[in-house]
Formats: sequence, structure tokens, C-alpha cells
Amino acid sequence: MSFNRNYIEFLFGNKLERIVWDDQQTLSPTTTVLQYLRGLSNFKGTKEGCAEGDCGACTVVFATIGVNGKLEYKAVNSCLVFLPQIHGKQLLTIEHLSDKNSVLHPVQEAMVEMDASQCGFCTPGFVMSLFALYKSSSQPTNETILDAFAGNLCRCTGYQSIHKAARLALNEMTPDSFTQKEKETIQLLQTINKGDACFKSANQVYYFSETLDSALTLKHKFPKIQILSGASDIALKVTKKKEILAEVLDLSGIEELKTIHKTSLGHDIGSGVSLQTMKEELHSELPSLVKILSVFGSKQIRQVATIGGNLGSASPIGDLIPLLMAYRAVVVVKGPIQKRSIPILAFIKGYHQIDLLEDELITLIHFPKPKQNRIIDCEKISKRIDLDISTVSAAMELELTPDKKISSIQLYFGGMAAVAKIATNTCVFLIGKKWEAATMEEAGSFLEKDFAPISDARAEAIGRMALAKNLLIKLWQNNPE
Amino acid sequence: MSAKVFHESSELHVTGKAIYVDDINSPCNTLHGFVVTSKIASGKLVSFDLSNAQNVPGVVTILSWKDIPGHNQMGAIADDETVLVKKELQFIGQALFLIAATTEQAALKAAALIKTEVETLEPVITLSDSIKKGWKLNETVVTKRGNAKKAFETCPHVIEASAESGAQEHWYLETQAAFAVPGENKEIKIYSSTQHPSETQAKIAEVLGIGKQQVTVETRRLGGAFGGKETQANMVAVWAALLAQATQNPVKIRLFRDDDQRMTGKRHPFLTQYKVGFNAEGKILAYHVSFNANAGYSSDLSMAILARARTHAENAYYIPDILIESTAWCTNLPSNTAFRGFGAPQGVYAIEDAIERIALYLKKDAAEIRHLNFYTKTHNTTPYGEIVENNHLESIWDKLVKSSDYYNRKKGIDAFNLARTYTKRGIALTPVKFGISFNTPHLNQAGALVNIYTDGTVLVNQGGIEMGQGLYTKIQQIVASELGLPIEKIRVNASITSTIPNTSATAASSGTDLNGMAVKNATDQIKDRIAAFLNNHWKISGTKNSIKTPELVFSNEKITHSINTSLSISFTKVVNLLYTNRISLSAQGFYSTPNLHFNKETQQGRPFHYYVFGMAVSEVELDLLTGRHKIIRTDILHDSGNSINPNIDIGQIEGAFMQGVGWCTTEEIKWDANGNMLNHSPDTYKIPGIRDIPQQFNVDLLENAPNPNTIKQSKATGEPPFIHALSVLFALKYAIASVKNHSVYPELNIPATNEKMVLCIQKMKKQSQ
Repeated sequence: MSFNRNYIEFLFGNKLERIVWDDQQTLSPTTTVLQYLRGLSNFKGTKEGCAEGDCGACTVVFATIGVNGKLEYKAVNSCLVFLPQIHGKQLLTIEHLSDKNSVLHPVQEAMVEMDASQCGFCTPGFVMSLFALYKSSSQPTNETILDAFAGNLCRCTGYQSIHKAARLALNEMTPDSFTQKEKETIQLLQTINKGDACFKSANQVYYFSETLDSALTLKHKFPKIQILSGASDIALKVTKKKEILAEVLDLSGIEELKTIHKTSLGHDIGSGVSLQTMKEELHSELPSLVKILSVFGSKQIRQVATIGGNLGSASPIGDLIPLLMAYRAVVVVKGPIQKRSIPILAFIKGYHQIDLLEDELITLIHFPKPKQNRIIDCEKISKRIDLDISTVSAAMELELTPDKKISSIQLYFGGMAAVAKIATNTCVFLIGKKWEAATMEEAGSFLEKDFAPISDARAEAIGRMALAKNLLIKLWQNNPE
Repeated sequence: MSAKVFHESSELHVTGKAIYVDDINSPCNTLHGFVVTSKIASGKLVSFDLSNAQNVPGVVTILSWKDIPGHNQMGAIADDETVLVKKELQFIGQALFLIAATTEQAALKAAALIKTEVETLEPVITLSDSIKKGWKLNETVVTKRGNAKKAFETCPHVIEASAESGAQEHWYLETQAAFAVPGENKEIKIYSSTQHPSETQAKIAEVLGIGKQQVTVETRRLGGAFGGKETQANMVAVWAALLAQATQNPVKIRLFRDDDQRMTGKRHPFLTQYKVGFNAEGKILAYHVSFNANAGYSSDLSMAILARARTHAENAYYIPDILIESTAWCTNLPSNTAFRGFGAPQGVYAIEDAIERIALYLKKDAAEIRHLNFYTKTHNTTPYGEIVENNHLESIWDKLVKSSDYYNRKKGIDAFNLARTYTKRGIALTPVKFGISFNTPHLNQAGALVNIYTDGTVLVNQGGIEMGQGLYTKIQQIVASELGLPIEKIRVNASITSTIPNTSATAASSGTDLNGMAVKNATDQIKDRIAAFLNNHWKISGTKNSIKTPELVFSNEKITHSINTSLSISFTKVVNLLYTNRISLSAQGFYSTPNLHFNKETQQGRPFHYYVFGMAVSEVELDLLTGRHKIIRTDILHDSGNSINPNIDIGQIEGAFMQGVGWCTTEEIKWDANGNMLNHSPDTYKIPGIRDIPQQFNVDLLENAPNPNTIKQSKATGEPPFIHALSVLFALKYAIASVKNHSVYPELNIPATNEKMVLCIQKMKKQSQ
């Protein structure tokens, strides 16, 4: 473990850029890519709309070398990425899309053609989301178009023209200037050295680990260090709360945490696996997980946010947590000496509290293979379908007798208490009852014994309770047989 | 105007090259402006100490009310908004101090070190609390015709109910921003994201204690506004100007999203009570409506907004006896303000809600009741005395009922609902009639300055603001058509107060109507000069056949005599000839909308130049358990007169509709008892996303409907289509009402969030039929 590297290198368009954190450096290592771009005089196309990943106006595209040796393009919110995280990547902004002679990229042309801009402030973000989709390997469907834009807000157009522009642009995905330069780009990216790094400024130190061992050593040495993985949550401390993070340990470069192992016992998902990767790769095996991930954040966020980060941030909301409980997921954590496997129910200890010792890191999440006849399902209610944290969410693990009676049921709710919790009384009532709508309607009153939700920005207590009761029926409705 | 013309900035938009205030490259001595605001909603500022804060490295100055050289007031209409609080704390987010610093970090550090002593009072947050306390902003204003109260006595049926709607945040993508650059001799230039440069200029002059001639405000484009930058842009500009004047450095302020949401006004929440009398057929005989608006802490535009609510209280319907009352109430919240529709959506909502109740009560189709009550050729006088002319309601109805297949689909929906327990569908048709012109007659004026250069290019200066609505594009098209030039030869300049003085806000949907006419007035003058010159040039003078401007055809960069086509000259050539003959190539245009008058005492007159008409049919599917819903299909037929730019107008309609859908469904703002806004970021404030749009979305413009006496016979488009979104609200209510087979009216307000709908359904299920 050396942490000698004190610089980052990335391709800014086609140009190799290097930022060194030496004595002269005035940039904080927790400068977001958006802040960096806004500070340059000729890159004002990337806009700040909210600085919290909720509007997509700051969307840029990262190109990296994928497993097949080709470039992979991902749209991300530049307000939620710290500079050290772009090391080794190609950063593409709206300014890079059209060439020097101002010839528009096909996605830009389509946006013009379909009148897809009005005030124009959100437009660069939409263009970048569309560009990433244009560069994806498979032919996009209507669903993938909507999914690609779910993280971009527009207040002027009503989206129909943008939707039409996307269909026009994606109708024919001809090779563009980026395809022509792909070889060159890959070669340039390959010249960038990897390795642990450390970026110091007057009041901050930012470690970037590339191995789990080095990260564990650091965590042991600096137990209070701020861990981040995708940074989609931690970045808010900087952009919104204006905190200066004194010590940061960035795990986003640790490849060994980014693997998914499928075994006879189930799935071992590395803590560094992005939510988008999970959504794409676990489609047939863990359908309920994919169902909830489809309405989790936005594509921009899912591409950087990780499952480990979601658990580690110990958010009380946790759209995912109830479902992880229903799956009986096991969190595997590692310290300097030992490894512990903790069932998710025990891992979540309370409001913003998890069972993680100061020198431990979450390494993987194990999803046991569900028993043959178990039904696992989930539901999430939010004000808006996309990019909205749940008002109430529910997950269920159910087993029925041959004559359709409930032999086993576990119901977990999010948004009903300080943490995601099991609905004990409701579950007890349901055992042995017939699996039908009337049963679930009747069960509703038991939720009142299980939960006393609060009123907040998202919903009133009374509304939460009504929604939770309905979710019991909804879970039946989803699985009537 | 045949060929499709794209938004003039579209290529700049898609390449990221369009410059907004915060994108202007600033000199390296530019300071970061920061506003320190009140953390309590009601109380008194007893004392403060800035000394520690001033010592923070990087801090250049900190200003309090004591440092204001001029008038410590910046209210748009009344002097009831302090620039910086002297004593009274009136809402959370009210400005107390201004900091100019070299970095944001230094400003934040300083802000934390400012010591204040405050006295806390109990705030008034809700409309009902304000009403209880009698915190009227102004006396109740009444518009009436006949005697509604008496008429109710003879009405066969009477329904009384209330209609409540919530606050709506504009959520323009570009937050409020201003960049102030001090000049010599107290002069100052401000690049502001304002819809109203002249007012911004006026406020800066008053606060700095200088003349308006020393203040220049420039605005190239806004990243969305929707009314939210009509008055609310002033404060940021004033603060930046104060700091720039104090430090003699350029100062930039751009509000952080959460601060913008906390500090600026919203669409007014309304609590409306109404009583409607009708006969067995469904004809409305009498209507008494009482609007109560939550104005926030100050006047702002609340009284004008209520005026528009009153003049739209009857929407598209002729109501013989009508009594309309409106009152604005004060609360300890930011001052609520203009927002697309300007009170009309809230006004229309009540009468449309009344019609839905009538339909349910009479067991009739709500669209039929609407149709029955439309203004007609004979029943055409509004409650405020204006005649509804060129009424297109009937023809829109005919076309839309057919194209949307309304009746068949409704039958299908009823059958669908009978067969389902947890999923219901609904459909609704709603009309809009919207008066165009500022309600205040004198605001309906505009100026322009058209400069033609000797290379044949044209620079158009006018007072309107481009905020995405395509004003600059339409101006370009108007000039191109008038002078027979290609679009590329015409540039519309940023709106600058030194070029076009004393402008009105770009608001009330009137941007193209007013500025387009003013620009045309300027080009007309230049064309007259060209005609007079050609008269000599072509040696026609002295004969009876002297050339009059209408005989000249300006086309293809040429000017040709319409009868004697051998007389033809290129535009550039004639321009050069005018120059060498010492004839001005620059003309100042002006326009004031004719025949507008309004008597505030009697509340009678002719406030509107014309009306815009339109209708929408929306079908929704609602999951009763979760409140999740989708708009299956929306059909809109809308009247834009002879549209100058159909693609831009359709874009305006689609966008306005979705903004209205947000108001009706997902956009909810709540405050706690202390006046803290709970939904101050897009994390919890939800405007529609792409998946919320209708799965089938058909928007058409009414054909063959030229508008007499407007620019190119077009009509304004900006605000009216917002109201089409009510079709979604009432479609949702129809779906919910089907739970009780349409025997109980769903008590559901705006916004109908999924939570509110589920609670409404729960309550209805418990009610007996």
C-alpha cells in the first residue's frame, strides 16, 4: 500500500488532462465534476439545476473500457461525482458532442428537429442522456428511452418533443465521430496508470483505494474516515450541507468488490456493484429486486450508486431494505482480522445505525436462493413514479399450503417507522388464514399495532397508514394464485 | 409563414452554447454574493453584530439595512417589502444581511459568525389561521351581475361546496441569478434573469438612490420563468447591485436551489367557497363564489392575481346572476406571486368543480352540462361587461368530441369500471376561455427599435424577454416576413433597458402580441421611407402613380412593385441608397393595445383585447390501492389564431398542460407550524417526469381561426393551456366516483396526490350511498 499517486488523469474529450494535488493546488479533492466544469471558462454548457441529482441538468457522460474491450458510455450526474472518481475515464460534456465545425451530433440534430428545447437550460442534460443511450450496444426500446430520461427534468416542453427526438435519433444509430476515434481513445485511456492514490489539500485528505486490503488498513488506521463508494449520497454533504469532509476513503476503484457470483446457494453481490448492474444482470434470478430497482433513483444515479453504499449510509428510508429483508439477505463485512456474516434484520440496528464496527467494511451481500415455493414480492409508493423516494414501501416473503392458506409470511415495511421493520402483529394474524383479498383487508387493522408512522414532507401519518394497509391487498393482488 | 422555423436558439441549446446569467464569464475580481436570511417566520430583529463575521479572510463587505443608500423597499406594487430587514421579521428566508466575499466558503463562514438577537412571535402560516385572525391584505373586491343571492331562492337546485388548491413552485431550471458590474459615476449594469427589466431597473435605482438613467438591466434569455421571475427576480438583482456599489467590484448572486425554493413566492394557495344554483336540465342560473388567496407576507401581485381569478370565475359559461368576491390574506410566508395563469386556474377550478357536482347530482354527463352552459352568440356578456366575440367554443366542442371519440370511450370506461375492483378509469372534458391583455390597461404597451445596417442585416431591439416561449423566434419571423428577408439576416438583441425603456413585464401571455406589434410598427416606418425613396428613385414622383407602401412586395431580399414587376431592387441595394441619401435606417416602434378600459369602482369594462379558447379530453387509469395513475390519452384542441409558429405553439401547449398536471397531482408544498417549508428541494417537491405524460398525447391547433387586429392574426399561447390539465383532475375524480357508482362526489382538492386520493377513496367507501 503506497498511495503515492497524488494526481488524476482523465481524457477531457480527446485531451489527456492531469490534475495534481501538490502545494499549488487550490481545488479541494471533494470538488464535484460539476463544480470543476463550472469553474472553467469554456465549459458552461453543463448546468446546475439542483446539486442533488434530482434534475439531470448537469448530466455528463463517462466512457470507460468495458469487459469486451469496447468503450462503454454512461450518463451520470456530474454534481454527485468527485474529481478523483474520474481518474482513468473519458469525461464527455455537451461541448464535446459537436465538432469544431459545429456539425451537430445526430442526437443534437434530432433535438433541434423535434423542437425539443424551449428555455434550453435542461437541454444539455437531456442531450447527454440521449447520447449515452445512442452509444449503447443494444437497440433501445421505448422503455429504455423513458428509463434513460427518468433522471432529467424539463419544466417547459412537457417531454413529448424530447421523447420524439429520442425516437428519431435512435431510429438509426450510425457510427459517429466517437466510433471513429474509439481505438485512439482506448489507447489513450490505457496509458493512464491505476493504483492507490491520496489527494491532500490544506484541510482535507482523500484516499482512493484500489484494493480491499489497502482500504481495510486505512479504515483501521482512521476509524472515523468518511467512506464513500458511488458518492451519490455522500456528495450531498458537500453540495447541500456545505460540509468539508476532512478524511475520505473512496472505495469506487476496488474491482474485487464489483463482482456478482452466482452459486448453488444464491447470489453473492459485491458491495461495490452498482444498482444499475444489478438491475441489468439479475433480471431472471431476482425479479423483485429488479422491480424495485426500476423505480429506484434514476439511471444516472443507479450507475454510480452501489448496494454497499446504500446499506452503509444507513438511510432510514431505504427503498431497498424491506426487500432485502424479504430475501433474507446476509451482509458480509470484513475487518482487519475477521469476516462476519450478519442477517440484514440484525444489521439494521436503528435509525442511522448499522452493525458495522469502526474498522470494518461491507464487502458483499448474499442473497440466499429462495425456497422453491416461496413468493417474494415488493411494492413502493411514491408521489412520482420515477426518481422519488418511497412514501411507503412493503416487501413480502410468503409460503402457502396446497389449499391456499398462509403457512408462512414475513411482511416488511419502509417509511412506517424510523427504520424498515417487520409487521409482527400483522404476520401473526395472517398465519393459517386463507390467501385472499378479504384476509388482507382484515389484516390492515393489525398494522396499526405494528406501526405509528409520522407526518413529514412526503405524507401524513394517516395517509401512510392507509397506503400501508392497501399495500397488503396489493401484494395479494400481485400474487392471487 | 409556411416553412417550419425552429426556435432561434435551438442549436445553441443543444450544444450548450446558449449563455445564461451564470454562464457569463466574469472578471477575476468578481465577488460572490451571499444572502443571510431569517430563520424565524415572525418576530423582531432586536440587534445584530457583524464584527466577527467581517474579519473572516475573503470577506469584502457585509451590508445591513443601515448601508442602503436609497429606499429600503423593493415591493413591485406596494412599499411593503424591505430590501434588508430593519425590524420586522416576516417569513423564513427574508433577507437580513448581504455578504460579498472572494469565495462561497468565506461567505458561509462569515454568515455563521453573524450574531443576531431576535424576538420570536407566533407566526400565521395557513389561510384558515389568517382568516381567523382577520389578516386581510386589502378589502374584499366584488364583481357582480344581477342578484345571485336572490336568484338562489328560485333555483330548483342549489349546491354549496368548497374548492381548495395548494401552492405551486415554479421550478424554473435556472434559479434566480444576477450579475452586477459597477461603472463610473455610480452607473451600474446588471445582467439579470428577470421577466421585467424595467421594474428591476426601477427598484435598483430606488434602492441605490440613483436615477434610472444610471442603471442598465440586460437580459438575453431565461432558463424558464413561468411568472416566477416577474417580480421575484428583482430582489436578487437589487442585492447584487447593492454589493457591487458598495465594493465597486462585480458581484454575482445565483440562488442555490433550496434557497430559491424557500425564499421566493409560489402560486397562491386558494380556499374557495361557492354556491351554485341550477335547473333540472343542468343550466346554471346563479353562482356565488368567494376566493380567498394566501398572499404571503406582502402585496406583490396578489390583487392583480385576484382580479384575473374574478374575470375567469365563470370560465366558458354564461351565468345570468353571479356574485364573485375575492380576498387576499396575509401570512408569514414568502410573498406569493405570478405563476402561469395568474389566478385564472384557481378561478376556473371552482366553477368546473361546481359543474362536476351538478352532473353527479343530476346523473348527467359533465361535458354535456358544460356544453349547455357555454357562452353563445346571444348569451355573450361576461360578468364584467365585456362581450365575448369570435367565440370558438362550439366549433372546438364539435371537433374535439368527434376526434376524441368522447362518448364511446366514456361508455367503454363505465363498462371497464363495472368489471374491476381495484382499477378504475375516468374521463373528462374541460374547456378554457382565457382573456388576453394585462388586466391593468396601461400595462398594455410596448416599444421597439429596429436597426438596419448597410450590409442588409437587421438588429431588432424590443422589450420582451425570451424564456423559452419562442418570443425571439416569432419576432424574427415577423421581421423576416415584413422585410422579405431570410431569418439568418435578422438578429433579435437581448432586451436592454437603455435601448427600450419603460417596458411592461413579459407576462400575461402577451409577449408576442405587444412586442410583435411594436416591432411591426418600426418596420412599417422603414418601409414607408423605402417607398418614398423608391418613388423618386424610380422617377414616379410627380405622376399620379406615386408608390404607396402596400404596393411594394418585400420578398426574397428584393423589393418589387406589385403591379409593375419590372420595378425591382435588392434589399441591400436600397438600404445602401437610403444611407447615401441620408435617410435613417433605424426606426423606433410603439404599440398600445386599442380599446381597453376598466372601471375599478364598478368592476366593469373591456379589460381584454380578445379571448383564447380551447378544450381538452383526458382519460386516466387509477390504481385504487396505491393511487398510482397514468394518463392513457389526452386530446387538446386549442385556438392560437393564425399561429405564427405552430411547432412552438404546440410545444407551449404541451408544456403548459404538463405543468398543470403537476399542479393538479404531484406538486405539494407543506409548511410546519413554525413556517419552515418542508418541500424545499426536488427531493420532496415533485414536478412531472417523462413517464407522467399521456401515453397518447394529441395536440392540435384550431384551423381557420384568424384573430382580427393582432400581429399576423395570431393569438397568445403561454398561459391558457395550463388550464387544460383540469381534465386530468376531473378524470381522476370520475374514476374515484365510480367506486360508489357516481353517487358520491369525491372530496378531493388540488393537488390530488396518491396519498390524498387513497384517503378520499377510503372515506367514500365508508360513506353510505
